[in-house]
Amino acid sequence: MTHAADIEVSGLRKQFQQTGTGLPVLAIDRLDFRIAAGDMVAIVGQTGCGKSTFLNLLIGLDRPSQGQITIAGRTPYDDFDHFRGVLAPVFQEDRLLPWRSALDNVRLPLELLGRERGEQIKRAGLWLERLGLAGYEGAYPHELSGGMRQRVALARAFVIDPALLLADEAFGHLDEVTSAALRRTFVDLARTEGNTAVVVTHQLEEAIELGGRILVFGKPGRILADINLATYPAAMLPRLRSDIQQMLQTNAPISEITQLTEKERR
Amino acid sequence: MSEAVEALAARKPVRFPREMLIVLVLLALLWEVLSWLVPPFIIPGWGRIFGSLVQLRLDYVVVTLARVAAALIISFVLGLALAVAMYLRTAVENYLRPAVRLLMAVPVVCWILFSVLWFKWVEFRIAFVLVVVCAPVFLVDMLDGMKGVPRALRDMLRSFRPSRTHFFTKLILPAIAPAILTSWKINLSLAIRVVTIAELVGAVSGIGYGLVVAQELFSVADVFAWTLILVIILFLAEAVLTRIEERMLRWRA
Repeated sequence: MTHAADIEVSGLRKQFQQTGTGLPVLAIDRLDFRIAAGDMVAIVGQTGCGKSTFLNLLIGLDRPSQGQITIAGRTPYDDFDHFRGVLAPVFQEDRLLPWRSALDNVRLPLELLGRERGEQIKRAGLWLERLGLAGYEGAYPHELSGGMRQRVALARAFVIDPALLLADEAFGHLDEVTSAALRRTFVDLARTEGNTAVVVTHQLEEAIELGGRILVFGKPGRILADINLATYPAAMLPRLRSDIQQMLQTNAPISEITQLTEKERR
Repeated sequence: MSEAVEALAARKPVRFPREMLIVLVLLALLWEVLSWLVPPFIIPGWGRIFGSLVQLRLDYVVVTLARVAAALIISFVLGLALAVAMYLRTAVENYLRPAVRLLMAVPVVCWILFSVLWFKWVEFRIAFVLVVVCAPVFLVDMLDGMKGVPRALRDMLRSFRPSRTHFFTKLILPAIAPAILTSWKINLSLAIRVVTIAELVGAVSGIGYGLVVAQELFSVADVFAWTLILVIILFLAEAVLTRIEERMLRWRA
């Protein structure tokens, strides 16, 4: 069982300079929220709302312009090396190393952690088996289907038993059946292992299916709604779905939509 | 999962180069026919060429090969070290790029003349010419390869927090393996041609020197015999590199 990490985001702002013109582009306006250790959070929003920028900041690949992110009390960009073995990402594309077999791809993070070779092979093999890929240990990525490659990427993330799992549109590009199956696998594994999980998606259905908390992102990078699905009875889900869809379309918070609806009724 | 099963079953076995063998045999036959039509001091027949082959100083082949191997290893290590430095520090690249371009623009013959004028020791002269010609090729090919490593893969690995050594050994070097092998192929044929010219001008051993002696004795068969040896060396070296390439890059679709 892993030690899950809590996340604290305060006054987060990220501005880029546009390539060519050099003009500033605001990707994240202001984000303030907290994710408790062991929680599963889906971030849903339209393309260009700063979801992936936020994930890059959370991984520590980029630095915020203002504000900060702390994971278990440390910043992922300043204390970069501290997070070795602590967080694991799953990306939209599998991002497997094409010259490594499935087994070698899965044991890559363990190599970086300096684990003993025997342990690497044993753990990687077990995770491939858990994800239904027993018998494909020696296969190269080009010899596997898209769904199988994404399973290898999932195994690569879970193999280090990370405190924080991050998924960036990890299931959306696959066919519906494979996507749903992988999503179920991801949720089951994350719950069993007790990892904190942040899943970025542009698909509302995917966010609802994950069944945890949903942060609805608007443009530019701000929270339109923070919804805990556990507090909603199943009967209210259709209404909630339509509210979120409306929020995404209008880029306005749910309270404003409610007010608008009341005004319209009058 | 049938797609994957098909892909696994489709792994290709190593293929015998039948077409190449046919072409070589046809060219050899054509050569023999031509040797019957023109005097032997222009095109000697295979009998004469093989007669020369057994009399040549084959230790010269070893000398030339040793020079090429040593120079290529030095060039590779130097090229790799500089490519890594240039990849890691933009300032290093900004200063070194123009110098490398300048080195590559100088014709090989000029380098040979410079080395004869500048250095006294024969082995150093030859090594200097080979390294100054081959190292920039390794450097440019490897640096371009490093820069071509997709950002997606770099970000993926960085997410797992590799050490700098791991970043190179687990990602950059395996990713540029195809560029390294292509570079070796190019440099191998380049080095064999350059070493022959360098030995022609400033050495007292090696295949190039053997060619000088053959020319002074007006032994056309010897010239062809040396040429045949050079061609065979190149073919064998390329075959070895291709075999290595097939083994190392079997992960490619």
